[in-house]
Amino acid sequence: MTYTSYLYFFGFVGVVYLLYLIVPVKHRWLVLLAGSYAFYMFMNGFLTAFLLATTVSIYFCGIHIGKIQDKFNIAKKDLSKDEKKVLKASFTKKKKGVVAIAVVINLGILLFLKYFNFFAEQGNLFLSMFNLHDVIPFIHIALPLGISYYTLQAIGYVVDVYRGKCKPETNAAKLALFLSFFPQMTEGPIGRYDQLAPQLVTGHKYTNENFTAGVTLILWGFFKKLVISDRASFIANTVFNNYSSYGGLTVAVAIMAYTLQLYTDFSGCIDIMTGCAKIFGIDLAVNFKQPFFSKSVNEFWRRWHITLGSWFKDYVFYPVSLSAPFMKLSKKAQNKLNRFFGSLIPSAAALFVVWLGTGLWHGASWKYVVYGLYYYFIMLLGMLCEPLFIKFFDKTHINRNGKYFSAFRVFRTFILVNIGMMLFRVNDLNDFGRMFAQLFTSFSINDITSGSMFKLGTDSPDFVILIIGVIIMLIVASIKEKGCDLKIAVANSRLLIKWPVMIGLIMSIVIFGAYGDNYAQVASIYAQF
Amino acid sequence: MEDLLKILEEVKPGVDFTKADNLIESGILDSLSIITLVAKISDEFDVEITPIDLVPENFKSAETIYALIQRLED
Repeated sequence: MTYTSYLYFFGFVGVVYLLYLIVPVKHRWLVLLAGSYAFYMFMNGFLTAFLLATTVSIYFCGIHIGKIQDKFNIAKKDLSKDEKKVLKASFTKKKKGVVAIAVVINLGILLFLKYFNFFAEQGNLFLSMFNLHDVIPFIHIALPLGISYYTLQAIGYVVDVYRGKCKPETNAAKLALFLSFFPQMTEGPIGRYDQLAPQLVTGHKYTNENFTAGVTLILWGFFKKLVISDRASFIANTVFNNYSSYGGLTVAVAIMAYTLQLYTDFSGCIDIMTGCAKIFGIDLAVNFKQPFFSKSVNEFWRRWHITLGSWFKDYVFYPVSLSAPFMKLSKKAQNKLNRFFGSLIPSAAALFVVWLGTGLWHGASWKYVVYGLYYYFIMLLGMLCEPLFIKFFDKTHINRNGKYFSAFRVFRTFILVNIGMMLFRVNDLNDFGRMFAQLFTSFSINDITSGSMFKLGTDSPDFVILIIGVIIMLIVASIKEKGCDLKIAVANSRLLIKWPVMIGLIMSIVIFGAYGDNYAQVASIYAQF
Repeated sequence: MEDLLKILEEVKPGVDFTKADNLIESGILDSLSIITLVAKISDEFDVEITPIDLVPENFKSAETIYALIQRLED
């Protein structure tokens, strides 16, 4: 049951929605819980046990942290400031121990299921140097749906309880809903407990605004996925699967087609899921903010897969940066080196951990490690060169934020991101090297004049539809960039605007969507993570 | 407050921190500069800033940062 199927929308979401409206408001969250678990068990069967194990483990860890905190609150009464400090350190240590247990259990499950075979392969490769072959056996178990997403949510919850950001959930069923809410099980967004859980357990009444905004967003997501993404995938697949047969210009177009495919696939799915949640009255976290308007790679990652980036920032970057060894390193660097390197070295070290983790989160493969480190080195280079840039702009009097230079920065970021996407798509690093070289060694304008570029698993009308789709998307992105929430604007508009928009979207999906006998269904890319 | 303003000037030169009141949203302070700032504040004021304190509300302006330091000193 894919999220673009009739079965998902009419057989599942439709039924859950009707039940949600029938059941008294107070108990509506139970419908969401039952629906979420029914969906998960239908998709995963016995693998649901892993989701349950995560839920149970963080439930007890949360409760235990809460009890330690309560004991501290009682014990600290009537103590002096210094005594309180000593007592706090002792209780914090206990709480940290519980957090460590939760992290070890849940990260352990994720690492074992997702990365065991990768590490076994590397281990066997190493041992083969000593004539020891296939010593470490591989495991054959499917990855539970959404494990990379719900594990991060689970760890985030325990850390938030530890930090006192939220109270421990005493109702295990409510915590189970937070981890299993069906719209976000396939591709996120990665929710935060304090923002999502209260919305889930509060019953929402039907409103026209929620329903229309939700449906509009679902249709927009389908437009991105079926009209643009799946069509762009023909071009990307044709060239990436046989890149040595094509000229450099065609390879460059295929890389951009893949970037377009990935963006519209991932953000389209997120739109569909956010729309699904919206009709229930629930706002999921924003995961994309017009990423291709970014002027730098740093900004790109603040606009692309936002919930992953902010998770790593809050639960990896900040704790690592503020940990005792890093603070020591920071002070040492500031004392021994100049001010610039004093600030740079600790940040660079903490960022390395973040980007290695981000790369590996995407998959158990060296190419994902390189993918993460690619962005790390670009950012590091930017940080290293910053003093030179400042001098350069001072001397040349070029306005860094001026219109033309900003346009150049957007273009430069687009190129850098496309190279990253190429890394993401290739089968292995050897292919990346060869394909990258091909961009420069066999670049010819003949690819366009001969018309071969328009026959990459598509025909000319497909190309035209793709270009029109991209133009529409750019117009929508420009409006959103100005701060307009289009789904709400459509929901609250007059019938003369609302209906043509909705019907236009439906008709364009029905007429121009890449589905049916001539098109193979394209699986969502981020669902595999 | 004077000491804090000096630190802020060191971390991000050329910003009028007595007037700026949206340091996070405007992008003046990003996660990297916040870490540098935290290291310097911890050193200067002998306070322990933890990840829970690293929320935008605490770093909106020099005043909110100063309020955070005072809270942690208590």
